[in-house]
Amino acid sequence: MKDTIVQGLQQAYLNLFHMIAEFLPRLVVMLVIILSGLLVAYALKYVVRAVLRLTKLDRLSEEAGASRVLRMAALPSMTEVLSRSVFWITLLGFILVGISILNIAGLQEQISRLLRLLPEIVVAMLILFLGLVIANFLSRAALLAAVNAGYASPKMLSWSIRFGIWILAIAMALDELGVARQTVIAAFSIVFGAFMLGLAIAFGLGGQGLARAFLERSLGEKKEDKTDELQPL
Amino acid sequence: MAEDILLGDDFLRQLMSVGEVDLLVAIPTYNNASTVVQAVQAIEDSYQQNFVRDRVVILNVDGGSIDHTTEAILNMNGRKAGVHRGITSLRTVHRVTTQYARSPSQGMALRTVLAAADLLRARSCAIVSPSTTNLDPSWVANLLRPAYRQDFAFVAPLYSRTRFQGLLARNLLYPMSRAVFGLRIREMYSEEWGFSGRLASECLSQNSWGAEAVRTRPEAWMAVSAICSGMKCCQSFLGPKAPPPRTGPDLVEAIRQTVGNLFWCFETFQDHWMDRTGTEAVPTFGSDHELTPEDAPSRQEKMLELFRSGVKDLDTVLSSILSADTYKQISEIAALEPDKFHFGSEPWVRTLYEFAASYHRTVIARDHILQALVPLYRGQLYSFLLEHANSTPEEIEADSEALCLEFERQKPYLIERWKAKAEVKR
Repeated sequence: MKDTIVQGLQQAYLNLFHMIAEFLPRLVVMLVIILSGLLVAYALKYVVRAVLRLTKLDRLSEEAGASRVLRMAALPSMTEVLSRSVFWITLLGFILVGISILNIAGLQEQISRLLRLLPEIVVAMLILFLGLVIANFLSRAALLAAVNAGYASPKMLSWSIRFGIWILAIAMALDELGVARQTVIAAFSIVFGAFMLGLAIAFGLGGQGLARAFLERSLGEKKEDKTDELQPL
Repeated sequence: MAEDILLGDDFLRQLMSVGEVDLLVAIPTYNNASTVVQAVQAIEDSYQQNFVRDRVVILNVDGGSIDHTTEAILNMNGRKAGVHRGITSLRTVHRVTTQYARSPSQGMALRTVLAAADLLRARSCAIVSPSTTNLDPSWVANLLRPAYRQDFAFVAPLYSRTRFQGLLARNLLYPMSRAVFGLRIREMYSEEWGFSGRLASECLSQNSWGAEAVRTRPEAWMAVSAICSGMKCCQSFLGPKAPPPRTGPDLVEAIRQTVGNLFWCFETFQDHWMDRTGTEAVPTFGSDHELTPEDAPSRQEKMLELFRSGVKDLDTVLSSILSADTYKQISEIAALEPDKFHFGSEPWVRTLYEFAASYHRTVIARDHILQALVPLYRGQLYSFLLEHANSTPEEIEADSEALCLEFERQKPYLIERWKAKAEVKR
């Protein structure tokens, strides 16, 4: 009895020892990988930051209105956001590879799935961000043009454009992630179609006069615009 | 050298057959067949009346006309001897034509002219517009003489105008450029101007030709280049400015081109004006300015309406360009009753300086900044028309001078806002 207990304890001790002996090198390898990843991520961050500064991305981002969107979201400049993203994506990649070295049952499968999904998540985020920037730029351009041309409800026109681009960007991002692909496409078609039909009906029934005036202005003989009858130069 | 790229074989052949010249008058065209003959005739008359012994050339640079503008010039008959009471040129008046591009571009046209002037070693040059219906031979002489006889580098035109003509220049372009660059040149944005061969070579060697501001309005860039290079500038009175054709730029386009060019010049030449204080008058040949009476335009309410809707609908855009105080003040102005409406010079100048600084900092897309200025200009224009409906030309001139002084007084504010970017960066 006593011998059996001692043998059991010895076996448990040996098993633990073997486990630690097997696990420790893997842990060290994982730490080495993560540490290397940290160094690589830092290096990449500085390289990307330097390249983006050379290409004057921040200025382009200001002009396109992207920086304004970032400021509204309390985020730093576009260069900083991109270089930090590169840092974290690189580090995350190394961490996942490091963890997979530990060979923990069940975790391997989850990490593989996450790694497979990572590029799609990044692309979806990029699509959303670009959609936000384009919507911002185009809606402002439309607002300014409508205000200067003296059109009625310029803000509604501007918001319609912004809303339309947002819907398109969200649908594209969800499609990229493969989330309920068929449903998203059907929903997008319905929402976008309904939106356009609504506009057409509103313009056709509610704005006959406006439509007539618009068509006369566009297709008919050009009447002199008295608004700017004073030649500026 | 730029000539290699700009000047085609046929054009070079024409220039080489002309040889060196003293005077060059260029006429950039684009579908001007109906008026160009009259303009070329005026240039030839000017040569024959005023520059009898000098070597001269008329250069037509065409932007791809499809109405046979170039042929109209080449098929013109020369002036018959004896028309000017026996006075005629002792030299051949050469006519050279070239097509610089398939679509018109002011910058490209000027660059071709400068390359030709450089190659022909012209001492004095002038650009005239083919659409100026009242171009007189004396205009050409007045543009050429200062650079030819007196070593001036840039010759700005001066016109006789009606009270309500050219108000963008009067209320914005002239006072602002005067305050910033320190020289009192009234007409930097014009279709006619003169320049020396030296300035032509200087501008040709610069690498600003790709800039949108230079492509659309190169004349002001040329003037500012002369000012900032320390070259001598002057003004020369031409005569009454005929109403521009209806094909001219509308208000939005005019502001995008001219104000965009002015703000771009502020940025490009910022090292030259930051420390400059006060303004200097430039030598003027002929009358300094002439204003003729004219009834105020009848329909102004639309202007006020567009100003008000602009201030209301562009709230997010204007808040990102203007300071909170200035935007608040403009909103208060927009709320005034039409008969009590007044957009004073103090808020107007501050608004423009904040726009210039925001353009420099690119707070939003630069083209959007320029477009956002349009409704505010309409408000200021409405105020001007309201106040000066019954003013005499002298009263209007006095008011313009007061506006210029306000621009000069607030220049330190422009510098403060302008430098804000550098401080943030540090």
